[in-house]
Amino acid sequence: MADAKTLKCVVVTPEKAVLDESADFVVVPMFDGELGIALDRQPLIGRLGFGELRITQGSAVKHYYVDGGFVQVRGNVVTVLTSKAVSAKDINTQAALKPGHAETTPAAQEALEKNQQRARAQLRIAQKNQERSN
Amino acid sequence: MANTRALVKRRKAIRNIRKITRTMELIATARFKKAMDRAVEADAFTRKIAELAADLAASATNLKHPLLEKRPEVKNAVLLILCSNRGLCGGYNASILREASGGLRQIQGDGIQLHLELSGKRAIAYFKFQGVAAEHTYTHFEDKPSFEQVDEVGSRYLADYIAGKIDRVDVAYMKFINASRQAPVVETLLPLSSLAPEPGRKVVTEEKKKPVEYEFLPSAEGILEEILPMSFKIRLFKCFLDSAVSEQIARRVAMKAATENAGEMIRDLSSKYNRARQAQITKEISEIIGGAAALK
Repeated sequence: MADAKTLKCVVVTPEKAVLDESADFVVVPMFDGELGIALDRQPLIGRLGFGELRITQGSAVKHYYVDGGFVQVRGNVVTVLTSKAVSAKDINTQAALKPGHAETTPAAQEALEKNQQRARAQLRIAQKNQERSN
Repeated sequence: MANTRALVKRRKAIRNIRKITRTMELIATARFKKAMDRAVEADAFTRKIAELAADLAASATNLKHPLLEKRPEVKNAVLLILCSNRGLCGGYNASILREASGGLRQIQGDGIQLHLELSGKRAIAYFKFQGVAAEHTYTHFEDKPSFEQVDEVGSRYLADYIAGKIDRVDVAYMKFINASRQAPVVETLLPLSSLAPEPGRKVVTEEKKKPVEYEFLPSAEGILEEILPMSFKIRLFKCFLDSAVSEQIARRVAMKAATENAGEMIRDLSSKYNRARQAQITKEISEIIGGAAALK
Protein backbone atom coordinates (compact mmCIF):
# COMPACT_ATOMS: atom_id res chain seq x y z
CA MET A 1 0.00 0.00 0.00
CA ALA A 2 1.61 3.21 -1.18
CA ASP A 3 -0.60 5.70 0.65
CA ALA A 4 -1.33 3.39 3.49
CA LYS A 5 -2.17 6.14 5.89
CA THR A 6 -5.86 6.43 5.22
CA LEU A 7 -8.62 4.41 6.72
CA LYS A 8 -10.96 2.65 4.32
CA CYS A 9 -14.52 1.86 5.20
CA VAL A 10 -16.44 -0.83 3.34
CA VAL A 11 -20.10 -1.55 4.06
CA VAL A 12 -21.68 -4.60 2.45
CA THR A 13 -25.11 -6.17 2.76
CA PRO A 14 -26.25 -9.40 1.13
CA GLU A 15 -28.10 -7.36 -1.47
CA LYS A 16 -25.45 -4.89 -2.46
CA ALA A 17 -22.21 -3.18 -1.61
CA VAL A 18 -23.43 0.00 0.05
CA LEU A 19 -20.24 1.91 0.54
CA ASP A 20 -16.55 1.79 -0.22
CA GLU A 21 -14.82 4.97 0.78
CA SER A 22 -11.88 6.37 2.63
CA ALA A 23 -12.50 7.93 6.00
CA ASP A 24 -10.68 9.65 8.82
CA PHE A 25 -12.58 8.11 11.65
CA VAL A 26 -15.29 5.49 11.89
CA VAL A 27 -17.68 4.85 14.75
CA VAL A 28 -19.43 1.49 14.72
CA PRO A 29 -22.32 0.43 16.95
CA MET A 30 -21.12 -2.65 18.82
CA PHE A 31 -23.46 -4.99 20.63
CA ASP A 32 -22.68 -3.24 23.92
CA GLY A 33 -21.95 0.34 22.89
CA GLU A 34 -20.17 2.37 20.30
CA LEU A 35 -16.62 1.80 19.22
CA GLY A 36 -14.43 4.35 17.50
CA ILE A 37 -11.88 3.21 14.97
CA ALA A 38 -8.97 5.41 14.01
CA LEU A 39 -5.95 4.80 11.82
CA ASP A 40 -3.73 1.79 12.55
CA ARG A 41 -6.11 0.08 14.87
CA GLN A 42 -5.30 -3.40 16.03
CA PRO A 43 -7.05 -6.08 13.94
CA LEU A 44 -10.49 -6.74 15.30
CA ILE A 45 -13.53 -8.88 14.69
CA GLY A 46 -16.61 -7.75 16.50
CA ARG A 47 -20.31 -8.21 16.72
CA LEU A 48 -22.55 -5.27 15.92
CA GLY A 49 -25.81 -4.25 17.47
CA PHE A 50 -28.56 -2.11 16.02
CA GLY A 51 -27.37 1.42 15.87
CA GLU A 52 -25.65 4.22 14.09
CA LEU A 53 -22.58 3.98 11.95
CA ARG A 54 -20.73 7.27 11.64
CA ILE A 55 -18.06 7.90 9.09
CA THR A 56 -16.05 11.09 9.36
CA GLN A 57 -14.35 12.38 6.25
CA GLY A 58 -12.67 15.70 6.90
CA SER A 59 -15.47 17.85 8.27
CA ALA A 60 -18.29 15.83 6.73
CA VAL A 61 -19.94 13.09 8.72
CA LYS A 62 -22.03 10.34 7.15
CA HIS A 63 -24.66 8.59 9.20
CA TYR A 64 -26.05 5.12 8.58
CA TYR A 65 -28.33 2.78 10.42
CA VAL A 66 -26.99 -0.76 10.58
CA ASP A 67 -29.01 -3.78 11.55
CA GLY A 68 -26.59 -5.95 13.49
CA GLY A 69 -23.89 -8.00 11.81
CA PHE A 70 -20.12 -7.92 12.10
CA VAL A 71 -17.23 -5.58 11.80
CA GLN A 72 -13.75 -6.57 10.75
CA VAL A 73 -10.77 -4.30 11.03
CA ARG A 74 -7.62 -5.36 9.29
CA GLY A 75 -4.79 -3.37 7.78
CA ASN A 76 -6.65 -0.06 7.91
CA VAL A 77 -9.74 -1.49 6.23
CA VAL A 78 -12.94 -1.42 8.21
CA THR A 79 -15.44 -3.90 6.81
CA VAL A 80 -18.99 -3.75 8.06
CA LEU A 81 -21.11 -6.79 7.27
CA THR A 82 -24.75 -6.26 8.01
CA SER A 83 -28.09 -7.49 6.77
CA LYS A 84 -29.34 -3.96 6.29
CA ALA A 85 -27.68 -0.55 6.05
CA VAL A 86 -29.74 2.59 5.51
CA SER A 87 -28.54 6.15 5.21
CA ALA A 88 -29.88 8.28 8.07
CA LYS A 89 -31.98 10.44 5.76
CA ASP A 90 -33.67 7.43 4.15
CA ILE A 91 -34.99 5.86 7.33
CA ASN A 92 -38.69 5.23 7.14
CA THR A 93 -39.96 6.23 10.56
CA GLN A 94 -43.48 5.05 9.76
CA ALA A 95 -42.31 1.54 9.06
CA ALA A 96 -40.07 1.54 12.11
CA LEU A 97 -42.96 2.53 14.34
CA LYS A 98 -45.16 -0.29 13.11
CA PRO A 99 -45.75 -2.44 16.17
CA GLY A 100 -44.56 -6.01 16.25
CA HIS A 101 -47.21 -8.67 16.55
CA ALA A 102 -48.29 -9.21 20.12
CA GLU A 103 -47.44 -12.75 21.12
CA THR A 104 -46.59 -14.22 24.43
CA THR A 105 -44.21 -17.10 23.77
CA PRO A 106 -40.64 -16.45 24.88
CA ALA A 107 -39.34 -16.63 21.34
CA ALA A 108 -41.89 -14.08 20.19
CA GLN A 109 -41.08 -11.89 23.16
CA GLU A 110 -37.46 -12.00 22.23
CA ALA A 111 -38.24 -11.15 18.65
CA LEU A 112 -40.44 -8.31 19.83
CA GLU A 113 -37.66 -6.96 21.98
CA LYS A 114 -35.29 -7.15 19.05
CA ASN A 115 -37.81 -5.30 16.92
CA GLN A 116 -38.18 -2.64 19.55
CA GLN A 117 -34.44 -2.21 19.76
CA ARG A 118 -34.37 -1.94 16.01
CA ALA A 119 -37.14 0.62 15.95
CA ARG A 120 -35.60 2.68 18.73
CA ALA A 121 -32.23 2.79 17.04
CA GLN A 122 -33.76 3.82 13.71
CA LEU A 123 -35.88 6.53 15.28
CA ARG A 124 -32.97 7.85 17.28
CA ILE A 125 -30.84 8.25 14.19
CA ALA A 126 -33.67 9.77 12.17
CA GLN A 127 -34.34 12.26 14.94
CA LYS A 128 -30.73 13.25 15.18
CA ASN A 129 -30.61 13.65 11.44
CA GLN A 130 -33.57 15.99 11.57
CA GLU A 131 -32.04 18.05 14.36
CA ARG A 132 -28.89 18.44 12.36
CA SER A 133 -30.72 19.65 9.28
CA ASN A 134 -32.74 22.18 11.31
CA MET B 1 -59.33 -21.40 -52.38
CA ALA B 2 -60.02 -22.27 -48.77
CA ASN B 3 -56.66 -23.96 -48.52
CA THR B 4 -54.63 -20.87 -49.33
CA ARG B 5 -56.73 -18.71 -47.08
CA ALA B 6 -56.22 -21.11 -44.18
CA LEU B 7 -52.49 -21.06 -44.80
CA VAL B 8 -52.40 -17.26 -44.78
CA LYS B 9 -54.32 -17.17 -41.52
CA ARG B 10 -52.02 -19.65 -39.91
CA ARG B 11 -48.94 -17.78 -41.04
CA LYS B 12 -50.31 -14.61 -39.54
CA ALA B 13 -50.99 -16.33 -36.23
CA ILE B 14 -47.47 -17.69 -36.11
CA ARG B 15 -46.05 -14.27 -36.92
CA ASN B 16 -47.85 -12.93 -33.87
CA ILE B 17 -46.54 -15.76 -31.73
CA ARG B 18 -43.05 -14.99 -32.92
CA LYS B 19 -43.46 -11.38 -31.89
CA ILE B 20 -44.50 -12.45 -28.41
CA THR B 21 -41.73 -14.98 -27.91
CA ARG B 22 -39.19 -12.52 -29.22
CA THR B 23 -40.35 -9.91 -26.70
CA MET B 24 -40.29 -12.45 -23.92
CA GLU B 25 -36.76 -13.36 -24.86
CA LEU B 26 -35.70 -9.73 -24.64
CA ILE B 27 -37.43 -9.31 -21.28
CA ALA B 28 -35.78 -12.45 -19.95
CA THR B 29 -32.40 -11.16 -21.13
CA ALA B 30 -32.88 -7.86 -19.34
CA ARG B 31 -34.08 -9.58 -16.17
CA PHE B 32 -31.22 -12.03 -16.32
CA LYS B 33 -28.73 -9.17 -16.36
CA LYS B 34 -30.39 -7.62 -13.32
CA ALA B 35 -30.55 -10.89 -11.43
CA MET B 36 -26.94 -11.54 -12.32
CA ASP B 37 -25.88 -8.15 -10.99
CA ARG B 38 -27.63 -8.93 -7.74
CA ALA B 39 -25.90 -12.27 -7.51
CA VAL B 40 -22.55 -10.58 -8.06
CA GLU B 41 -23.30 -7.98 -5.39
CA ALA B 42 -24.25 -10.73 -2.97
CA ASP B 43 -21.00 -12.44 -3.78
CA ALA B 44 -19.02 -9.66 -2.11
CA PHE B 45 -20.85 -10.33 1.12
CA THR B 46 -20.43 -14.08 0.84
CA ARG B 47 -16.73 -13.68 0.25
CA LYS B 48 -16.33 -11.45 3.27
CA ILE B 49 -18.23 -13.82 5.53
CA ALA B 50 -16.10 -16.68 4.27
CA GLU B 51 -12.98 -14.67 5.02
CA LEU B 52 -14.20 -13.90 8.51
CA ALA B 53 -15.06 -17.53 9.10
CA ALA B 54 -11.64 -18.62 7.90
CA ASP B 55 -9.93 -16.11 10.17
CA LEU B 56 -12.08 -17.27 13.03
CA ALA B 57 -11.23 -20.91 12.38
CA ALA B 58 -7.53 -20.04 12.21
CA SER B 59 -7.44 -18.27 15.56
CA ALA B 60 -9.74 -20.54 17.52
CA THR B 61 -9.23 -24.22 16.88
CA ASN B 62 -11.78 -26.04 19.00
CA LEU B 63 -14.99 -24.46 17.86
CA LYS B 64 -18.18 -26.28 18.60
CA HIS B 65 -21.69 -25.25 17.87
CA PRO B 66 -25.00 -27.13 17.61
CA LEU B 67 -25.49 -25.89 14.05
CA LEU B 68 -22.27 -27.59 12.99
CA GLU B 69 -22.94 -30.97 14.59
CA LYS B 70 -24.60 -33.70 12.65
CA ARG B 71 -27.39 -35.26 14.63
CA PRO B 72 -27.04 -39.03 15.06
CA GLU B 73 -30.69 -39.65 14.28
CA VAL B 74 -32.64 -37.61 11.77
CA LYS B 75 -36.36 -37.76 12.49
CA ASN B 76 -37.70 -34.62 10.89
CA ALA B 77 -36.40 -33.13 7.69
CA VAL B 78 -37.44 -30.07 5.74
CA LEU B 79 -37.27 -30.10 1.97
CA LEU B 80 -37.59 -26.71 0.36
CA ILE B 81 -38.16 -26.70 -3.38
CA LEU B 82 -37.55 -23.54 -5.36
CA CYS B 83 -39.43 -23.33 -8.63
CA SER B 84 -40.72 -20.48 -10.73
CA ASN B 85 -44.09 -18.79 -10.54
CA ARG B 86 -44.51 -18.75 -14.28
CA GLY B 87 -44.02 -21.30 -16.98
CA LEU B 88 -42.63 -20.93 -20.49
CA CYS B 89 -39.10 -21.54 -19.36
CA GLY B 90 -38.30 -24.87 -20.97
CA GLY B 91 -37.29 -27.74 -18.77
CA TYR B 92 -36.46 -25.53 -15.81
CA ASN B 93 -39.28 -26.56 -13.49
CA ALA B 94 -39.43 -30.14 -14.71
CA SER B 95 -35.76 -30.79 -14.01
CA ILE B 96 -35.94 -29.30 -10.51
CA LEU B 97 -39.05 -31.30 -9.70
CA ARG B 98 -37.46 -34.47 -11.00
CA GLU B 99 -34.41 -33.94 -8.81
CA ALA B 100 -36.57 -32.97 -5.85
CA SER B 101 -38.80 -36.01 -6.21
CA GLY B 102 -35.69 -38.18 -5.98
CA GLY B 103 -34.67 -36.44 -2.77
CA LEU B 104 -38.20 -36.70 -1.47
CA ARG B 105 -38.37 -40.42 -2.07
CA GLN B 106 -35.03 -40.89 -0.38
CA ILE B 107 -36.19 -39.03 2.69
CA GLN B 108 -39.42 -40.99 2.82
CA GLY B 109 -37.55 -44.24 2.20
CA ASP B 110 -35.38 -43.59 5.25
CA GLY B 111 -38.48 -43.30 7.38
CA ILE B 112 -37.95 -39.65 8.11
CA GLN B 113 -40.88 -37.38 8.78
CA LEU B 114 -40.93 -34.98 5.87
CA HIS B 115 -41.90 -31.34 6.00
CA LEU B 116 -42.33 -30.15 2.46
CA GLU B 117 -42.02 -26.47 1.66
CA LEU B 118 -42.59 -25.07 -1.80
CA SER B 119 -41.78 -21.83 -3.48
CA GLY B 120 -43.34 -21.00 -6.83
CA LYS B 121 -46.74 -21.76 -8.30
CA ARG B 122 -45.34 -24.45 -10.57
CA ALA B 123 -44.11 -26.56 -7.66
CA ILE B 124 -47.36 -26.03 -5.77
CA ALA B 125 -49.42 -27.17 -8.74
CA TYR B 126 -47.19 -30.20 -9.28
CA PHE B 127 -47.39 -31.47 -5.72
CA LYS B 128 -51.08 -30.75 -5.53
CA PHE B 129 -51.50 -33.01 -8.53
CA GLN B 130 -49.29 -35.65 -6.91
CA GLY B 131 -51.37 -35.48 -3.77
CA VAL B 132 -48.46 -34.52 -1.51
CA ALA B 133 -49.38 -31.95 1.09
CA ALA B 134 -46.99 -29.07 1.60
CA GLU B 135 -46.47 -27.43 4.95
CA HIS B 136 -45.64 -23.98 3.68
CA THR B 137 -45.96 -22.47 0.26
CA TYR B 138 -44.51 -19.22 -1.00
CA THR B 139 -45.34 -17.38 -4.15
CA HIS B 140 -43.83 -14.00 -3.32
CA PHE B 141 -40.27 -14.86 -4.36
CA GLU B 142 -40.09 -13.41 -7.83
CA ASP B 143 -36.97 -12.67 -9.79
CA LYS B 144 -35.80 -10.23 -7.14
CA PRO B 145 -35.84 -12.03 -3.81
CA SER B 146 -34.93 -9.61 -1.03
CA PHE B 147 -32.77 -10.61 1.87
CA GLU B 148 -35.46 -9.63 4.33
CA GLN B 149 -37.91 -12.12 2.85
CA VAL B 150 -35.34 -14.89 2.88
CA ASP B 151 -34.26 -13.90 6.37
CA GLU B 152 -37.78 -14.57 7.61
CA VAL B 153 -37.78 -18.11 6.25
CA GLY B 154 -34.21 -18.73 7.38
CA SER B 155 -34.89 -17.53 10.91
CA ARG B 156 -37.81 -19.91 11.22
CA TYR B 157 -35.64 -22.84 10.14
CA LEU B 158 -32.96 -21.87 12.61
CA ALA B 159 -35.43 -21.56 15.45
CA ASP B 160 -37.01 -24.91 14.62
CA TYR B 161 -33.63 -26.54 14.26
CA ILE B 162 -32.35 -25.28 17.59
CA ALA B 163 -35.62 -26.24 19.26
CA GLY B 164 -35.14 -29.75 17.89
CA LYS B 165 -38.29 -29.72 15.79
CA ILE B 166 -36.30 -30.39 12.65
CA ASP B 167 -32.98 -32.18 12.22
CA ARG B 168 -32.12 -31.39 8.64
CA VAL B 169 -32.88 -28.78 6.00
CA ASP B 170 -32.50 -29.59 2.31
CA VAL B 171 -33.05 -27.24 -0.56
CA ALA B 172 -33.78 -28.32 -4.12
CA TYR B 173 -33.01 -25.63 -6.64
CA MET B 174 -31.28 -24.87 -9.91
CA LYS B 175 -27.65 -24.16 -9.18
CA PHE B 176 -26.03 -21.54 -11.32
CA ILE B 177 -22.63 -22.78 -12.46
CA ASN B 178 -22.03 -20.38 -15.30
CA ALA B 179 -24.06 -18.58 -17.94
CA SER B 180 -24.32 -21.68 -20.08
CA ARG B 181 -24.59 -24.32 -17.37
CA GLN B 182 -27.08 -24.76 -14.58
CA ALA B 183 -27.76 -27.96 -12.75
CA PRO B 184 -30.64 -29.02 -10.53
CA VAL B 185 -29.34 -30.01 -7.10
CA VAL B 186 -30.57 -31.00 -3.65
CA GLU B 187 -28.31 -29.46 -1.05
CA THR B 188 -28.23 -29.93 2.69
CA LEU B 189 -28.02 -26.53 4.37
CA LEU B 190 -28.52 -27.59 7.96
CA PRO B 191 -26.52 -28.90 9.75
CA LEU B 192 -23.87 -26.66 8.28
CA SER B 193 -21.10 -28.68 6.76
CA SER B 194 -18.51 -26.01 7.36
CA LEU B 195 -18.03 -22.53 8.66
CA ALA B 196 -17.70 -20.95 5.27
CA PRO B 197 -20.83 -20.00 3.33
CA GLU B 198 -19.69 -22.02 0.35
CA PRO B 199 -17.94 -25.25 1.23
CA GLY B 200 -16.66 -25.97 -2.25
CA ARG B 201 -14.82 -22.75 -2.68
CA LYS B 202 -11.40 -22.07 -1.29
CA VAL B 203 -10.90 -18.79 0.45
CA VAL B 204 -7.89 -17.07 -0.91
CA THR B 205 -6.21 -14.67 1.43
CA GLU B 206 -2.89 -13.17 0.53
CA GLU B 207 -1.59 -13.08 4.04
CA LYS B 208 -2.24 -16.72 4.63
CA LYS B 209 1.29 -17.33 5.84
CA LYS B 210 1.16 -15.10 8.85
CA PRO B 211 -2.21 -15.17 10.53
CA VAL B 212 -3.38 -11.86 11.90
CA GLU B 213 -3.82 -11.62 15.63
CA TYR B 214 -7.36 -10.50 16.01
CA GLU B 215 -9.04 -8.95 18.93
CA PHE B 216 -12.47 -10.50 19.37
CA LEU B 217 -15.38 -8.57 20.76
CA PRO B 218 -17.10 -10.13 22.67
CA SER B 219 -15.18 -13.40 22.14
CA ALA B 220 -14.48 -15.92 19.40
CA GLU B 221 -17.40 -18.05 20.65
CA GLY B 222 -19.71 -15.06 20.72
CA ILE B 223 -18.82 -14.19 17.15
CA LEU B 224 -19.24 -17.79 16.09
CA GLU B 225 -22.69 -17.86 17.59
CA GLU B 226 -23.67 -14.98 15.34
CA ILE B 227 -21.74 -15.86 12.25
CA LEU B 228 -23.19 -19.35 11.87
CA PRO B 229 -26.81 -18.24 11.52
CA MET B 230 -25.63 -15.51 9.17
CA SER B 231 -23.68 -18.04 7.16
CA PHE B 232 -26.75 -20.26 6.90
CA LYS B 233 -28.99 -17.38 5.86
CA ILE B 234 -26.60 -16.17 3.23
CA ARG B 235 -26.43 -19.67 1.79
CA LEU B 236 -30.19 -19.83 1.67
CA PHE B 237 -30.27 -16.40 0.08
CA LYS B 238 -27.74 -17.56 -2.48
CA CYS B 239 -30.02 -20.48 -3.37
CA PHE B 240 -32.83 -18.05 -4.06
CA LEU B 241 -30.59 -15.78 -6.12
CA ASP B 242 -29.19 -18.71 -8.06
CA SER B 243 -32.62 -20.01 -8.90
CA ALA B 244 -33.76 -16.53 -9.99
CA VAL B 245 -30.80 -16.23 -12.35
CA SER B 246 -31.24 -19.76 -13.66
CA GLU B 247 -34.92 -19.21 -14.29
CA GLN B 248 -34.23 -16.20 -16.45
CA ILE B 249 -31.55 -18.06 -18.37
CA ALA B 250 -33.88 -21.00 -18.93
CA ARG B 251 -36.64 -18.68 -20.11
CA ARG B 252 -34.32 -16.85 -22.44
CA VAL B 253 -33.08 -20.08 -24.00
CA ALA B 254 -36.61 -21.46 -24.31
CA MET B 255 -37.92 -18.28 -25.89
CA LYS B 256 -34.99 -18.07 -28.24
CA ALA B 257 -35.73 -21.59 -29.45
CA ALA B 258 -39.41 -20.75 -29.77
CA THR B 259 -38.65 -17.67 -31.85
CA GLU B 260 -36.38 -19.66 -34.12
CA ASN B 261 -38.97 -22.40 -34.51
CA ALA B 262 -41.64 -19.86 -35.33
CA GLY B 263 -39.38 -18.38 -38.02
CA GLU B 264 -38.83 -21.79 -39.51
CA MET B 265 -42.53 -22.51 -39.46
CA ILE B 266 -43.29 -19.24 -41.23
CA ARG B 267 -40.80 -20.11 -43.95
CA ASP B 268 -42.35 -23.53 -44.30
CA LEU B 269 -45.87 -22.16 -44.45
CA SER B 270 -44.84 -19.47 -46.93
CA SER B 271 -43.46 -22.00 -49.36
CA LYS B 272 -46.56 -24.16 -48.90
CA TYR B 273 -48.76 -21.15 -49.53
CA ASN B 274 -46.83 -20.17 -52.66
CA ARG B 275 -47.09 -23.69 -53.98
CA ALA B 276 -50.81 -23.83 -53.29
CA ARG B 277 -51.34 -20.47 -54.97
CA GLN B 278 -49.34 -21.52 -58.00
CA ALA B 279 -51.26 -24.80 -58.21
CA GLN B 280 -54.50 -22.86 -58.08
CA ILE B 281 -53.42 -20.54 -60.90
CA THR B 282 -52.26 -23.45 -63.00
CA LYS B 283 -55.54 -25.19 -62.39
CA GLU B 284 -57.53 -22.12 -63.41
CA ILE B 285 -55.50 -21.60 -66.57
CA SER B 286 -55.87 -25.21 -67.59
CA GLU B 287 -59.60 -24.94 -66.97
CA ILE B 288 -59.83 -21.88 -69.20
CA ILE B 289 -57.75 -23.53 -71.90
CA GLY B 290 -59.84 -26.65 -71.59
CA GLY B 291 -63.01 -24.56 -71.88
CA ALA B 292 -61.69 -22.67 -74.93
CA ALA B 293 -60.64 -25.94 -76.60
CA ALA B 294 -64.12 -27.39 -76.05
CA LEU B 295 -65.68 -24.37 -77.82
CA LYS B 296 -63.69 -24.94 -81.03
